[in-house]
Amino acid sequence: MPASPTDEQLITRWQDEPAPLLPLLHAFNERDGHLSRESLEAISAGLRIPLAEVHGSVTFYHHISDEPESRDRPRVCMGPICRLNGSEQLLHDLDGAEPMACAGRCDDPIPVLQADRGLVGRPGDELQQVPSPLPPPNPAGIEECCLANVREPDRAACSGYVRTGGYAALAKARAMEPEEILQVLEASGLAGRGGAGFPTATKWRAVRDAQGGPKTLVCNADEGEPGCFKDRVLLDHDPHAILEGMAIAGLATGATRGFIYLRYEYPQTQAILERALEEAEEHLDGFEFCVRRGAGAYICGEETSLLNSLEGRHPFPRNRPPFPVTHGFEQTPTAVNNVETLASVAPILHRGAEWYAGLGLGEHRGTKLISLSGDVERPGNYEIPMGFPLKTLLFDWAGVPEGRTVQAVTMAGLSGGFLGAEDLDVTLDEACLRAKGSFLGAGGIMAFDDRRDMFEIARQSMEFFASESCGKCFPCRIGTERLVERLGDPSGPLDPAAWTEEVRAIGQAMTQLSACGLGRSAPLITESLLRLFPAEVSGKLGAE
Amino acid sequence: MSLDLTLDGQVVPFQEGETLYEVAHRHGDKIPTLCYDKRLKPLGACRLCVVEVEGANGPLASCTTPAREGMVVRTVTEDLEQHRKTLVDLVLSENPKGAEITPLRGLASQELAQLSVRYGSDGTRFAGATSGHPRLDDPNPMILRDYEHCISCYRCVRVCAEQEGDYAISITGRGFGTRISAEFDVDLQDSDCTFCGQCVQTCPTGALGDQLALQYTDLPEPINATRSICPYCGVGCSVDLLTKGETLVGVQPAMDGPANEGALCIKGQFAWEWVQHPDRLKEPLVRKDGELVPASWEEALDRAAAGFAQTAARHGRQSIYAVASGRAPHESAYSVQKFIRVNFGSNQIDNCSRA
Repeated sequence: MPASPTDEQLITRWQDEPAPLLPLLHAFNERDGHLSRESLEAISAGLRIPLAEVHGSVTFYHHISDEPESRDRPRVCMGPICRLNGSEQLLHDLDGAEPMACAGRCDDPIPVLQADRGLVGRPGDELQQVPSPLPPPNPAGIEECCLANVREPDRAACSGYVRTGGYAALAKARAMEPEEILQVLEASGLAGRGGAGFPTATKWRAVRDAQGGPKTLVCNADEGEPGCFKDRVLLDHDPHAILEGMAIAGLATGATRGFIYLRYEYPQTQAILERALEEAEEHLDGFEFCVRRGAGAYICGEETSLLNSLEGRHPFPRNRPPFPVTHGFEQTPTAVNNVETLASVAPILHRGAEWYAGLGLGEHRGTKLISLSGDVERPGNYEIPMGFPLKTLLFDWAGVPEGRTVQAVTMAGLSGGFLGAEDLDVTLDEACLRAKGSFLGAGGIMAFDDRRDMFEIARQSMEFFASESCGKCFPCRIGTERLVERLGDPSGPLDPAAWTEEVRAIGQAMTQLSACGLGRSAPLITESLLRLFPAEVSGKLGAE
Repeated sequence: MSLDLTLDGQVVPFQEGETLYEVAHRHGDKIPTLCYDKRLKPLGACRLCVVEVEGANGPLASCTTPAREGMVVRTVTEDLEQHRKTLVDLVLSENPKGAEITPLRGLASQELAQLSVRYGSDGTRFAGATSGHPRLDDPNPMILRDYEHCISCYRCVRVCAEQEGDYAISITGRGFGTRISAEFDVDLQDSDCTFCGQCVQTCPTGALGDQLALQYTDLPEPINATRSICPYCGVGCSVDLLTKGETLVGVQPAMDGPANEGALCIKGQFAWEWVQHPDRLKEPLVRKDGELVPASWEEALDRAAAGFAQTAARHGRQSIYAVASGRAPHESAYSVQKFIRVNFGSNQIDNCSRA
């Protein structure tokens, strides 16, 4: 057994690397099983970050701690779908287990994370380490973009990727002017697939035109939204598509360095990405990309929190302006793009803007990955044309259990709140969903049939937002807590009218005043609960 | 070219780089805030300073929004005031005692109390769990850490980092469980804290309090503030001396002090109890038969002069050595060296700041 590395060796290994704090914290945590005071003192001195700040940041993240033996404790997913599958029992059965927020495997049995091992299983089962499920074949044979090649054998290896057409788009892009690349993307209509929907070409052009440097790329792979597991399938089964997309982004923006910020809960994915980076070295000539593993924080999916986290700062969202395109990573012009967005780039360049735009229905352009889970026969990732009818996806593609009716589905994971049975004739695009008071976001949909207690699901959802609220802005920090209290053990008024008035007032302040998307969208849960299930709300309050 | 925007119906000029809050404040608007301290980088946490800007998608925090040419801004509308009331109600719900705080706790300690009056909030609406974790057990005699009143505005953390450069405290945990602590929650005396007291003075709720001043809470007289200059060193920090009747009960930094802008050090902030300490020297004492006894100034100065002369005669002029006080301004320091050089012919002069 090799001797464990000294403090000095670890510091020396990382201190001159870009974005060193997270990997250094993980290295000490791996060595000792927790982050001791001595370790943090060494890190503080080595990276010249004040000790109180390092300690404060450690306490912010879910998966690192100064408590001895904290690293190896099993963590059991408490996402809404896993609870339906018995995760509370599993939590109870496993020695020393702790709950964790949705770990992004809603198409699997219950995920259990133990240090670097991502296991799955159900109560009573032996836990197993299994690869991410491949997406079900596209049921209607509709043409795909991101998932088109993902089911090809060996696609995750560089040789397999190249054999199935990989890196051809990058070679093509190297012969193009940056402006030509941007024009293709602009014409394709590609927009941010992490949920914000900002036009990708506009973002890249802003980075290219920004003063200063070096310019930076960040692939946002911090897929933390409950019910979303679409980035995982791409990262695990088509990692080179993401690297190719990043390299093309580099050519278009002038950036040569980049980070993939990966959520902590995907440990196998980190190994896959690191292998892909090694194998793709010759293709990625001129670029320096590296993987940085998060430490457990939903808010780090928000791009400015992510940047603070990468920089080793307290991961609060930043105030905007200035925007990351001019003042991003270490104040350099930075393009932060979602995994799915980047995975769409090479196919667009390869097959043309018109091809991609034409994949959407009607006036909508392109496709969207939807992570569908919950009370459906065939959960999984589906790539749909933008503007696709929800009912077709739900009833024809995924299927609803025999004899059951869907009483609600979530949108944007949890952030879009619930749509009820009467709302199901929507099409999956922002215009249609926003008209219903919701939004598509990152594309997570969880279905709940008539067996489910929607008040309880709403409580769990709000509990998630409260536990992930960063604590920076008042409406979100206090509001999420107050809403959880009102949905749980009653501490507010029990008269339904007074209860509703309070919940609405809190929600309105959060929606209007919160500093970032978490606090702005969390009240969609209570708003849609009140809209769709007023009788259940009254019943709950009366029953207490 | 001058830049203008419309503020509550009035066209007003502004400078490039100003925020909407700064522009509005300059024009007399009383936009409420809790996380704002003009010396610190705006954080945009409390959201009370929200304003409506035509064309914007919802209210914007004025403290973090740069003013732009042609903006049409409203700082008081029915919607905004309703939002602000909801926010103040939420804040008071986690800090119901925030409305009754003695001003002895600190300079900014009344900010939340004043907002609770302005918005008629008493902490009963939205009642629920409270978030504070008091550290009343911190043994330091200067800074009271009564976090039951903490509202997580982070002014203390920011002033410690941005103004004092100590980085002694930081934000731990997250969300409603957020706390303010030194590393590993150690006592302040075991952290990098220098007890400058700036966290106390910027705290808008009195969660951080001046323990020395609080000893005088029960004195019945009203608090009176007298502007003065800190006597400790040559910087000349402006202070307000707080008195109740004839008793000095505290020192607060002056935000408009040109030399200090609200800053003080441990001495200026907390080392004032000597003023009314029974051991304080109030008249000359001379030693007679081994006992110190009161004497006139004339007698005392004669004794001192005789002592110096005798020492110089016996041991030579180089035996006289002067150490000037670091509290002395230039003019006094000059006088000291002149006195020693001219009167004793000694060049042995130093200053206590070198120690």
